[in-house]
Amino acid sequence: MSTFHGLEMAKQALFTQQMGLYTTGHNISNVNTEGYSRQRVNFETLSPYPSASRNSPVMPGQIGQGVKAGTVERMRDQFLDMQYRSQSSRSEYWATKTDALSRMEGVMNEITGGDGLNKVMDDFWKSLQSLSTNPTNAGAREVVGQKGLAVAETFNYLSKSLEGIRTDLKAQIGNEKGESGKLGDANSILRQINSLNKQIGEIEPHGYLPNDLYDQRDKLIDQLSGIVNIKVDYESSSNSSLKIADGIANIQLVDAQGKELGVKLLGKEDMQKKDEEIGKFTIKYSGENDTVSELKFGVTDITDKLESVDGSLKALIENYGYVKDGAVKGHYPEMLSNLDKMANEFAIAFNTQHKKGFDMSGKEGLDFFTVDGANGITVNKDILIDPNKIAVSSKNDVTGDGSNALALGDIITKPLKSTTEGGEGPLGTNVSVKSFYQQLIGKLAVDNQEARRMAENSGIQQLKVQNDRLSVSAVSLDEEMTNLLKFQHAYNASARSMTAMDELLDKIINSMGLVGR
Amino acid sequence: MRITQGMISNNMLSNLTKSYSSMNKYMDQLNSGMKITKPSDDPFIAIKGLGYRSQLLQIEQYSSNTSEVHQWMDNSDGALENATKGLQRLKELATQASNGTNSPSELKNIAEEVKQIKEDLIGIANLNVNGKHIFNGADTDKELVTVNSDKSITIAPSKGPVEISISDGINLKANVDGDKVFSKDFFDKIDSFIDKLDNGTGSVDASIADMDKNIESVINARADLGARMNRLDLIENRLSQQEITAKSTMANNENVDYEKAITDLLTQETMHRAALSAGSRIIQPSLVDFLR
Repeated sequence: MSTFHGLEMAKQALFTQQMGLYTTGHNISNVNTEGYSRQRVNFETLSPYPSASRNSPVMPGQIGQGVKAGTVERMRDQFLDMQYRSQSSRSEYWATKTDALSRMEGVMNEITGGDGLNKVMDDFWKSLQSLSTNPTNAGAREVVGQKGLAVAETFNYLSKSLEGIRTDLKAQIGNEKGESGKLGDANSILRQINSLNKQIGEIEPHGYLPNDLYDQRDKLIDQLSGIVNIKVDYESSSNSSLKIADGIANIQLVDAQGKELGVKLLGKEDMQKKDEEIGKFTIKYSGENDTVSELKFGVTDITDKLESVDGSLKALIENYGYVKDGAVKGHYPEMLSNLDKMANEFAIAFNTQHKKGFDMSGKEGLDFFTVDGANGITVNKDILIDPNKIAVSSKNDVTGDGSNALALGDIITKPLKSTTEGGEGPLGTNVSVKSFYQQLIGKLAVDNQEARRMAENSGIQQLKVQNDRLSVSAVSLDEEMTNLLKFQHAYNASARSMTAMDELLDKIINSMGLVGR
Repeated sequence: MRITQGMISNNMLSNLTKSYSSMNKYMDQLNSGMKITKPSDDPFIAIKGLGYRSQLLQIEQYSSNTSEVHQWMDNSDGALENATKGLQRLKELATQASNGTNSPSELKNIAEEVKQIKEDLIGIANLNVNGKHIFNGADTDKELVTVNSDKSITIAPSKGPVEISISDGINLKANVDGDKVFSKDFFDKIDSFIDKLDNGTGSVDASIADMDKNIESVINARADLGARMNRLDLIENRLSQQEITAKSTMANNENVDYEKAITDLLTQETMHRAALSAGSRIIQPSLVDFLR
């Protein structure tokens, strides 16, 4: 047994407790750092002396050699990470969707918006009714022209506002090369994860645990999971890495149920590649409505896979519009095309009836509206300049007759009739212009209500998983303060034990063998 | 479960946000007076509300149309009453002229008065109310009776009735067919009376019966008008009933129940204060405060 055994043991103890103190300090410093997992020094006993070997001295028993710091590990549960990520895709999907639908609802608000389409249509009907009772009154004619213009302008406003929001949505999705918007985010996150994979791959083989790099990588993976559904597998970086090392992250695209879709976003093989060589998301916009026609990762076309995943990217594309089986889908393009259909069918039916009537000078009615979709519909300029051209009468020589004005009013409130006998009306069987619009508002309201409820529910779920995760990983100041005391006391005691050893040695060196002196 | 300070403050924040959002909802309700402020708050109420609002607006428009009809009918009735008075005077004059004691100059005087009454009747037939000739059917900007240069009379042919919509799909005829009352025959009878007086030819007795016939045609028109006026009153009553019903249905559907909303807001306020005061207690102390 060495004379200096005790000194060495005390020194090791001091170092180890100090490490504990520093790690506690690191935890306290990062108490408010997002994504930080608390770290622990795993204390281990040093192998006792003597070890079982050929030349080992004969002793009454093995004697402990003290403590050493084994590894510095972070407290984290990968299963909770998995839960958090699948929940995050879900809640981001619904949150993004309800955001887009709420903007649509804001534009088409018929409840507090005041002059919504429903209201201006009613006003137009009212003006036609008033005109029918006073067919020769110039003021009543003027009012009909202006109210008709208000209907057209409301159509224009709805169409333009929705198109404006669509432009915003496109910017949020990103450009074709995937350099901006959500695609840009996803691509940049993948590059950053790859670079972290590289750094981790360089450190782990030396037997270290790069805890802070793990935290950074997990935070990026969390962000990516909000954009698309992903699944992460870990692969050992090297044979010499520790068993408890996380390793290299492989990321795959999965569907909302967690089933693999056979698209690998990032893997160990990407570590050798430069940033611009690794796979990235790209998109193509085409067609009359500039809808999403193709979404690719690297060279793989993942357009059809989009329907089965969650995440904000899908929500944006679903709202912006995409092509499926040759048809344009998506909340915004569908609403816009329905408004176009409504504006056109209304204008056609109104014009047909208007042409059946006769104006103040006994001439047949002109086209009242120009038929050019919701965006282009307007009132014929000639009618606005000269309201006497409104064909109120249904008899060519009777200016006091208002029955055509009544028939024009019916175009607004009564179901539009089919041109063929017994056929379905242009907006559906027994559907009037107003009830068609009410259906549109109703569907939007139900869709948005559902999205809002789902966003709320999945948000609560996500918060719950986040709390579970924080319960494992978050820094508790009370706990750290307790540890601080614990390590400080151990440090003090170790120092004390070193002093004791010092006194022993002092006795041996300076006071021993001085008998009788 | 291990709970940390961060978790507690996160949870408190998210609960406070929730509490604020329900306060916001109740404030919205109280400020707007409506249960919902956007369709997705309750699609069912929203869509019903759109329907009710259109319905109410239609009822209001139909009510305003009925006053238009009233105007037509009241004016027509008044004019026909005046026409009756004029015709009764004509009958009196015919009776007076027929008793054979009148000198030719007296007959001339009677003829003068008859001519004036005829002018008056033409004026009634061409009555213009608010720019509309009410006895000329739908052709309101033309006169019914035209006196030609040779003093003969032309009656404009009928261009159909004036019909005003007073309920969904129900049109009511608002005018009196002037060409049936003030017909060519009507004026011919007066003309022949004047002729007899002026020239002293023929028996004035026949004109008494003629004037009776004229009075009868006016009275028939008034009877028909009266029947329609009764119908208009019925419809007006029904419309005002419908308006009340529509308004109260609409209010039930979408207007906020103030007692409930205020109580909800107060409850929420109390809960919010409690959450805030609890928050200040939870966040404050940690072990650090007790270690020296």
